[in-house]
Order: sequence, then C-alpha cells, then structure tokens
Amino acid sequence: MPLKFKLSNCTGCKLCQLACSAVHDQVFNPEKARLKMIHEYNSKGIKIRSSYCTHCGQCEEVCPEEAIKSNGRWMEVDHDLCVGCELCVSACPKKIIYMDSNEKSIICDLCNGDPECIKWCPKDVITLRGKGASK
Amino acid sequence: MSSFFGKMLVVDLTRGIIEDKILPREWVDLYTGQKGLGSRILMEDFDVDIDPLSPENKIVLTPGIMTGTIVSCSAKLSMTTKSPQTGTISDGSVGGHIGAELKYAGYDAVMISGKAAELSYLHIDPDNKEIIAIPEFKGLGTFDTEDDLKKLRGDDKLKVLAIGPAGENLIPFSCVSSERYRQLGRGGMGAVMGSKNLKAISIRGWLDVAVADIRKCMDISMAAHIKDAVIDPENEIFTHGTSILVDYSQESGLLPTENFSKGRFPEYKNINGESFKAVRLNKKACFSCGIACGNYVKDGKAVVEGPEYETIALCGSSIGVGNRADIIRMNAVCDDLGIDTISAGGTIAFMMEATEKGIHDFGIRFGDADKALQYMDDLSHLRGIGKEASRGSKGLAEIYGGDHFAINVKGMELPGYDPRGSWGMGIAYASAPRGGCHMSAYPIAEEAWGTVDPFTFDGKGKLVADMQNSQFAKFSMGVCDFWPIEDKTIGELYEVTVGGEWSAEKVYLTGERIFNLQRMFNVMVGFERREDTLPGRFHKEILKEGPPKDHLMTKTAFDKAMTEYYTYRGWDEKGRPTIEKLRSLGIEEKLIEAYAEKVKLNGIPTMNKTYAEIIK
Repeated sequence: MPLKFKLSNCTGCKLCQLACSAVHDQVFNPEKARLKMIHEYNSKGIKIRSSYCTHCGQCEEVCPEEAIKSNGRWMEVDHDLCVGCELCVSACPKKIIYMDSNEKSIICDLCNGDPECIKWCPKDVITLRGKGASK
Repeated sequence: MSSFFGKMLVVDLTRGIIEDKILPREWVDLYTGQKGLGSRILMEDFDVDIDPLSPENKIVLTPGIMTGTIVSCSAKLSMTTKSPQTGTISDGSVGGHIGAELKYAGYDAVMISGKAAELSYLHIDPDNKEIIAIPEFKGLGTFDTEDDLKKLRGDDKLKVLAIGPAGENLIPFSCVSSERYRQLGRGGMGAVMGSKNLKAISIRGWLDVAVADIRKCMDISMAAHIKDAVIDPENEIFTHGTSILVDYSQESGLLPTENFSKGRFPEYKNINGESFKAVRLNKKACFSCGIACGNYVKDGKAVVEGPEYETIALCGSSIGVGNRADIIRMNAVCDDLGIDTISAGGTIAFMMEATEKGIHDFGIRFGDADKALQYMDDLSHLRGIGKEASRGSKGLAEIYGGDHFAINVKGMELPGYDPRGSWGMGIAYASAPRGGCHMSAYPIAEEAWGTVDPFTFDGKGKLVADMQNSQFAKFSMGVCDFWPIEDKTIGELYEVTVGGEWSAEKVYLTGERIFNLQRMFNVMVGFERREDTLPGRFHKEILKEGPPKDHLMTKTAFDKAMTEYYTYRGWDEKGRPTIEKLRSLGIEEKLIEAYAEKVKLNGIPTMNKTYAEIIK
C-alpha cells in the first residue's frame, strides 16, 4: 500500500520531508526523510519528481540477513539483524533507501499506516494508494 | 535543544581567511534572527562612515532562527549591509530554499568583509568552506552563474546567491538573485557583492535542525497553519499571488501610472491577477511554506517566476506598459542582469516623464517597452544612455532637474503604492530605515482596503509606528509577510523552536528595539528629519480619479504627522532616538555610548513635548 502522488499539485515546499524526519528522528532534516521531492529547474519553470518507497520488494530480495521483510503493507527493517551492507541501498530502484549514522537501513514505514507526510501536505498531493485522500 | 546553533561563519575575502565564531546568545535574545540579528552583527565594531563599496563594508547573511523547521513561511534569508543606493543601513530578504540550506550547513549567520583579488565565489557546506576564483564568470547573468556553478561543483542541489553584470558594474540598484527569480532586490546589495569581487555564494547543507520541543512545535505549527489560513486553498496569495493587488490598487486609485502622475491605469485588466493566472504554468512554494505564492508564467517565449505586484506596477503601469508579455520579459531580464525591477522601472519612468515634459530628452516615452528593455540592459553594462540611467531617478534629477517627480525616498525608488491614496503609507515611506520601501509598514491594508480614513494623517503616526514594530519583529523572528500572524503566535512558535519565554508584548518590544537599532545606525551616518521626506509631486498634485480625487496631501500636514510620529516613538524633533528611549528598549550600553558619542556635535537628542501634548 505505497504512497501516491498527484505531482501537478506539488509546490515543492518539502513540509512532507520535514514531517517525516521530525516523527522518525525528532529533528528537522529533509535529507533524512523517507520520501524526497526533487526539484528540477528548466527554461519552462520547475518540475518536481517524487522519490518514495513503492513497496516493490527488491530490498527484501537482496538482503542477505533477512533483515527486511514486507508485512503486506510496508517494509519492516529489523535493525538487530541489519549489518549495514548497503545491498538494499544499491537495489532500490527509487534510490530512497539510505543508511543512518549507525549504518542501519532506513526505509519508509508509512508511520505504521498513518503517514505524517499526508497530514502535513498543504496541497493534498500525497494519499495512500487504494485509500483515497485520508485528510 | 534550540534551533539556534550559536555559530557564525566569518569570511575575510582580502586575506582569504574563513573561520567559525561563537554568536552570543544575548544578541539573539535581544534581536532574534534575520533583520535584527543581521543589523546587530553589522554594527559590531563598524565604522558607519565607510564607503558602502569599500572592502570595509560588511555583508551579513542571517536566516530566520526558525528557518529549517516545519514552521510555515519561515525560510527567509536576510542580507544586511550599508547600502550604496541610500547610504543607510539596508537589509533585504530572499525566499526560496537557500535560507534553510544555510541552517542545514550549520550556521545562524555569515559575515563577509574585504575584497577578493579576482572575481570569486564563496562556497559553504558542513565540510568545506572555500573562496574560489572564477574569472571566467565575468559578465555572466545570474541564471547562467547559478547553472554553471552547479555544473562546476557537480551538485544539482546547490543553492546559490548570484550577481549579474549590474552587480559587477556597481550599479546602485543592482540586486542579488537566487533560484533565478527570487531576489534580494533592494538597496544595491548586488553592488556590495560586486565591490568585493564576490560573484556568488553557493550553499549546501545536510545537518539537523533541532528545536526546544518538537512535539509542541508540530502541534502549534499545524494549528497555526490552519487558524491563519496559511494552507487555505482559497487564500488569494495562493490562488493568484501578489498580482491580485493590481485590482485592489486600481480600485483605490493608487496604482502608479505614468510615473505616479495618475493613480489608475486604463489597461489594468491586461496585467492583473486574472491575466497572469491565464498564462500560469505551475505554482511554487518557498521551503516549508504552506501558502505557495510563486507562479511560473509563460506568454509567447517569455517565461518568469512572477511577476510580483511591484514589478507589474513599476515595469507596467508606471511606465505606461499594458502588455503582459512585455512585463514578463522585463522581469526575467532584470532578474538575469541582476537589477531591482522597482528601481529600474522607477528610473525609466522618470526618464520618460522628463522626455515628455521637455526637461531633458532621454529618448524614451511612456509605453515604449522595447526601449525600456534596452535601457535595462544598457544601464547594467554602463553602455551609452545606460550610464545616465544607472544613476537612478534621484541622481538624474540632481543633474537635469525634475526633482519633484523623481519618485524616491533617500535615493530608493518607491514601490507600487501612491501614498496619496493611503496617507499612512507616506509616513511609512518617509520613515522606513532603508528608504522608499513598502515592507516596514503596510497601512494600506487598514486605510485603502480597510476601515481607516486614508485621507487624513490623524492617528497615522501611531498606526505606522505600531505596524513597523510588529513587522520588524516578524521579519527578524523570521516569518514571511504573507502570513498574517499575530505577535502572540510568533512568540509561541519561538518558545518551542528557539526556546525562552516570548509573550506578545516581548515580541512587539523586540520589533521596536530593532527598528530603533536601525535608526541609530542611520542617525550616526547623519540621517534625520530633513531626509524623511516624500517627492514634491505628492504634496502639490492631486490624483484626479478614484477615491483620492479632491484630497491634497499638503506638506504642512505631512510635517505635522512626522512630528507626531517621532514623538510617539520617543525621538526628538529631528527624528533622533533619545538616549532614554534607547535605554528603555534594552539596547546594549556599548551601542548607546557609540551613538551618543557620534551625535553629540549636534546636541544629544532630547524631547521637548510628550506624545499626549503633540496630539492634543
């Protein structure tokens, strides 16, 4: 049940990334967010791309320690098993998995099914796929 | 925990020295961030008499101290310096994402002095701070400078402040651009960078910003965003952006038209909010902003993020141009050349009127957009007639006459509101520390668009001073103008981000303290009442259409209003803060001593009458 983006509404404010880092890491740092809104400027203005976990399962497949498992709705990472090999980082087609300062894999957990990013988006860009707008 | 790091980067371009310094917590408690902190840092051991374009001048960058947090509209970055256009202290703020980037790089402030041996840029990230020569960038526009720097460093995420040819050529109204279309527009910041051989500043950051209480910060921010309609889809600043003001100003008869000779523009519907909305490509927000005032528009080949209302007024109606595509072109050209659209439009409008009146033939008349575009390019390159135009309206009037229609205050051209349609705005223009500026107070909202009589000065000294104090708190504590936030809410947000106790009264007092701090700077330079004036046109000519018709804003009434304003502020007859007033505001004794020493030749400022006596 991944996130869904209506990018034509996105203004690039990054409140979603701020909310994500705040609830998971208790700091504000868009680089630590589990989703990223990427700005691209061109002669026509600004284009915004989203990078987020699509629940494709490739990280689970490559993890040698079986630290990453899908619970059917999002990927769960067992940090006790994670050895920081970064194979998941390389495998992620969305390039959204990163290693934290303890060398543990960080993947979107949909805030346990109630994503904070959705609550903070001021333009209703983000919804849960198959659930409609949850605001 | 606090969103204040206590860290400043100090850069000496002459000696190539870059070092971290501790920023005193006391300065933040007294002056907060952005405008206030920038002014305080500038004034530390600063000789106010220096030439603004000398290596001794300083550039201070200060993001808001809530910048980088989830508080909406809090991602501004200020630049404070001594202005080459006005000779006053001058600060501007730019939105976009660069303010947050500086916080994520780990700094509350950057102070730059000296002059690099050749054209250079300064790079700042958590691991690297360096000054690098880029002589090959000479003459580049701000758009290419930004793009090329990203390529040079191989980093698309870089945020950049850049000057164009106008800044390199020390044009007194050259600006600094960021993300192409966001500007530190006013006061000639571009020339100060140019005088230092500083073509650009690039910033990247990835560090954390922590706050005093993150749970409360999230709760209060969310509630405030909803309560103040920050995220309301019907908010006009979102639906249209500032171009919505064209209709308001036209209705109120204060839309600058043909160099402020009229207050209504017959072709206004071609250049109003609806017109620009019709050619909008997409919306854009600054970092952490729930409103998203920005608009990318495209008409024919012309593209810009904007145009903002001030550009429409000064590069549109005020030069007699009612063509949407022309205004978009002028906006983009000014942003790329690195000149302020307000002063550029104001100067060209003066040249047009002087030509029409036969005072001096500058070869340009109202409505000639192509020539206006050419003059913008010429003045930025000091080419041909452009050498003249680069002087600005005040400089031209000193040579050729026409002073009463050189629409500036202290050498800075006025923005898009004719004060005859909102008299309080006249006091705001005359008293704004950086010259002809609409950001110190916006009484128009209460007068022309509210319930207060626009055509009287009664009570306006107090109205404007109160507004200025709140605005100075807002722009120092770090919230954008477009959030109509109350002092109380700013205080609450400050408590949960920066920390400390911040009542509404304390917020207001902080704003008053910062306003007085900037006034101290200006008085030390030699500014006083005689410079707090309006162009003669406003006291001699009556606007003939709309609400302002039949109302003459006399010089006598204006002078009386200024006396009321000074007295309410606790300043003397000449508009100089008294020592008692400065002490009561808690300004540091060290600064007050320097001020007293500097002004004593003219007699220490004292008050003869109280405010109550003046308004009798």
